[in-house]
Amino acid sequence: MNSQVELVQGTLDMLILKAVSLGGLHGYGVLVRLEQLTGGKLQIQQGSLYPALYRLERQGLITSEWGESENKRKAKFYSLSAAGRRKLKMETESWKRFSAVVADVLGAVPEES
Amino acid sequence: MKFFRRQRFESEMDAEMRFHIDAFVEDLVRSGVERGEAERRARVEFGAIEAKKDECRQAWGLQWMDELRADLVFTLRTLRGAPGFAAVAILSLALGIGANTALFGVLDALLLRMLPVRDPGQLVFVQTAGTRGMNGGPPYPCFEILRDKAKSFAGMAAFSASSMEIRLNGVREQVRGLWASGNFYELLGVRPVIGRTLAASDDQTVGKGGPDGPVAVISRSYWEQRFGGDPAVIGRAVPMGEQTVTIVGVMPNEAMSVDPGRRFDMAAPMMLSDPVVLRQRGAWWLDIVARLRPGVRQEQAAAEANGLFQGFMGDSADSAEMRKLHFDHIELTAAGKGTDGLRTRFTTPLTALMVLAGLALVAACANVASLLLARASARQKEFAVRLAIGAARGRLVRQALTESLVLAGAGAGLGIGIAVAAQNALAGFFATGGDGIKIDLPLNVRLLFFTVAISAFTGLAFGLAPALRAANVNPAAGFQGGSRSVAGSRRGLRLGRVLVVLQVALSMMLLCGAGLFVRSLRQLAAVDRGFTREATLTMEVSPEGRMYGTPEWLRQQTEILERVRRMPGVKSAGWATMGPLSGRDRGVLIDIAGSAPRSITDRSIHLVSVSPEYFDAMGMKVLVGRGFSQRDNATSAKVAILNETAARFYFGSANPVGAKLRITIPRGSEYEIAGVIKDVKHSSLREEPGRFLYVPIPQSVDRINRVALAVRTAGDAGRLAAPIAREIRGMPGALLITNVATMEELAQRSMSRERLVAALSTVFGLLALVLAATGLYGILAYGVARRTNEIGIRMALGASTRGVTWMVLREALLLAGAGIAVGIPAVVAIGSFSRAMLYGVSAFDGAAFACAAVVLTVSAALAAVTPARRASRLDPMTALRTN
Repeated sequence: MNSQVELVQGTLDMLILKAVSLGGLHGYGVLVRLEQLTGGKLQIQQGSLYPALYRLERQGLITSEWGESENKRKAKFYSLSAAGRRKLKMETESWKRFSAVVADVLGAVPEES
Repeated sequence: MKFFRRQRFESEMDAEMRFHIDAFVEDLVRSGVERGEAERRARVEFGAIEAKKDECRQAWGLQWMDELRADLVFTLRTLRGAPGFAAVAILSLALGIGANTALFGVLDALLLRMLPVRDPGQLVFVQTAGTRGMNGGPPYPCFEILRDKAKSFAGMAAFSASSMEIRLNGVREQVRGLWASGNFYELLGVRPVIGRTLAASDDQTVGKGGPDGPVAVISRSYWEQRFGGDPAVIGRAVPMGEQTVTIVGVMPNEAMSVDPGRRFDMAAPMMLSDPVVLRQRGAWWLDIVARLRPGVRQEQAAAEANGLFQGFMGDSADSAEMRKLHFDHIELTAAGKGTDGLRTRFTTPLTALMVLAGLALVAACANVASLLLARASARQKEFAVRLAIGAARGRLVRQALTESLVLAGAGAGLGIGIAVAAQNALAGFFATGGDGIKIDLPLNVRLLFFTVAISAFTGLAFGLAPALRAANVNPAAGFQGGSRSVAGSRRGLRLGRVLVVLQVALSMMLLCGAGLFVRSLRQLAAVDRGFTREATLTMEVSPEGRMYGTPEWLRQQTEILERVRRMPGVKSAGWATMGPLSGRDRGVLIDIAGSAPRSITDRSIHLVSVSPEYFDAMGMKVLVGRGFSQRDNATSAKVAILNETAARFYFGSANPVGAKLRITIPRGSEYEIAGVIKDVKHSSLREEPGRFLYVPIPQSVDRINRVALAVRTAGDAGRLAAPIAREIRGMPGALLITNVATMEELAQRSMSRERLVAALSTVFGLLALVLAATGLYGILAYGVARRTNEIGIRMALGASTRGVTWMVLREALLLAGAGIAVGIPAVVAIGSFSRAMLYGVSAFDGAAFACAAVVLTVSAALAAVTPARRASRLDPMTALRTN
């Protein structure tokens, strides 16, 4: 009955990069966009977003800047760096290959002899 | 800086998370949730905010900083909980680190530091050399040739230290002077404090100087002492000798010359020095410093200078033999550290002391390591708990190492304080006990780096083993019951014993070293000086220049003696051109009538001209023949006295009295030998006596100018210094009195190196002894505590109090004995290493070794007293109940 999906280990970073790649967002914005993109099917503990954001910024994949939010409050906005763009492209391709292989394997039907 | 960045990180992270929660709350409220409920849900869905922050910090790489802070806080808390341990550990380390820092500072100042001049690495000394070694620079005319013609050098300057006589407010005064060629300071690239420095243009015309007339610069300290630091000193005219010089500048003390440790008051251009000496082609009185042209190799420059030198020496008046010995060729030596007088004298003793200080530091490390080890054993339970609840072993090691480094850091902080105090004492020693050596000991970067390096090293040295041991605890075993069953504690005790044996061995080495040096000093102090040990005062008296060598000056000398002899407390008084241990020397060449020709070396002899009463005043004994009398005057037959060494050298066992000798250089004069006198230690107490020739002042080949007065007194000789000086100053002719000292002071000064080494090695020896005793006490007390149970059983089974006491005492003696045995081979190594510094004792001096062993054994027994008593007074019932 539960339509929510558990996050596969290590995929949160990829999803954040994707979300940020669609335009600069603050942390809460990343969360909202991820919910929109997944149709609320992905379960993310809100607080866990931040260690991931900090790690990505430390790795130089995203950059941050303080700016003003929709409701005129100071907020920290994240955007994708050139390195982040390359990383996202690479990860997307390898994810596609990986999921295709897994889908093939899981979709195989027993051969009748 | 770093701290503020950290604060900003924290506040921004906080703001960002708060924004998130607020935004979520707003969204929920907008979708119809009641505000209180919305806030609750936002907090829940966000998760534990502090934990998330921690993860962020970790992601950002800040975690190690937090852990370090936690380690530090924890360390400070545990150390506060064990103040006794902390105090002993920090104090041991502070003494070790302080001693090393202080000594390294002195070593650096005297042996390692470069001159405070521009590009010191390019500077070389230009020296003549022969089979007898280096001999300073060539005569002035040769210097001019080298300076003007040698292309290998960017510049070349001459200098010569000499006392100068000036008048301040009409009073004669002797200053420590330096004759320097005009380009000297320019070549060194040093700047004046105020005014200007000497320039090449000041050094053009003999007797006149340059366009500004005769000029001079003074040192900063002389300026402050004599002129109260008044800037108006610039332009002041000061009578100097026959001329009047204008002071044009004040120079930094350490930039006055290239002679580290030596103080100068005034420097004046070469052209103002003695015009006769300046012109002499055979006067060897200069030192020459030059700056190599960039890209020129030293050998190349030496070859060029040597070519010019050989050309100059073509018409030298010196004999071929003399040239071979002293003036054979030119050599260049690195001048970046300045002249090597101090280095030659202090390299060996300071290196030896540095080694001893290093050993003392190792002893301090061993001491702290054994303390830490004992604590680690006591803290096994704590470590076991922390491991059991999931601490990584690496973190425990880090925690333990943090503790070591905190101890080392505190030790270093306190050690620097100790070092500063010790350095002041050492600088004071060099300034007064030595020969007025001025050493600057600023806390420089190099010194601090040294301190930090040795502190970090010590921290790791004593901390690593206990840290690893602590992390090796087995949590399961660590929980079980009492100390007795703690895993690893037996091994801990063994390592503790090894450390104690090491400490005893180090003490053995240091105490033996101290013993050797102290005994050397006592031997040296007791050596037969050849002059009386009764209170004797000396001072040098010089008349004005016009009186030099005149009969009037001789008459005045006699008058002074008569006046001084009449003063209360004076036993006898006499004159000599130079006294023992005065640092002065005079050599002449002689021929013995009727003997085979000899080499220059064999013909050379020290010459002292004396008044008849001198031998009596100094307590020098005439062994054969007679001393001098008033009848040996300018018109009577010339007579001379040899010292024992000279008599034996020239006449063997034959009686020389009545034989004739002839002084050939500086000028011919024939003497009949009237007697032989006992050898006197002249240049130092250590030396083997040289050959000495004594002649009456009126019959001397030398022009008599400055003479030394020797006064034997009843009671304290120093007390008579002021009255005698007053008496002499009261006479006509403005006599200048310098170098007032008792003979005992001169003897002490002559032993300055030995006193330094003996005093410091004793300090290090005692330090190591105290450390070893505390270490021993610690291990014994710990052993008794650990064996409380066993001792209880023994006593319950009938062991006597004496038996238990002996058990503890025996362990102490065994440990001490093992340490002594281990130490002996090391002591032998130290002995042979320090042989050159010993006097009158063998490097394997049984008495010193035995003394050190006894001191250590007694200390071990004393260290055992309290633990042994505690063991013997255990109540078996209580003891058995303790686990």
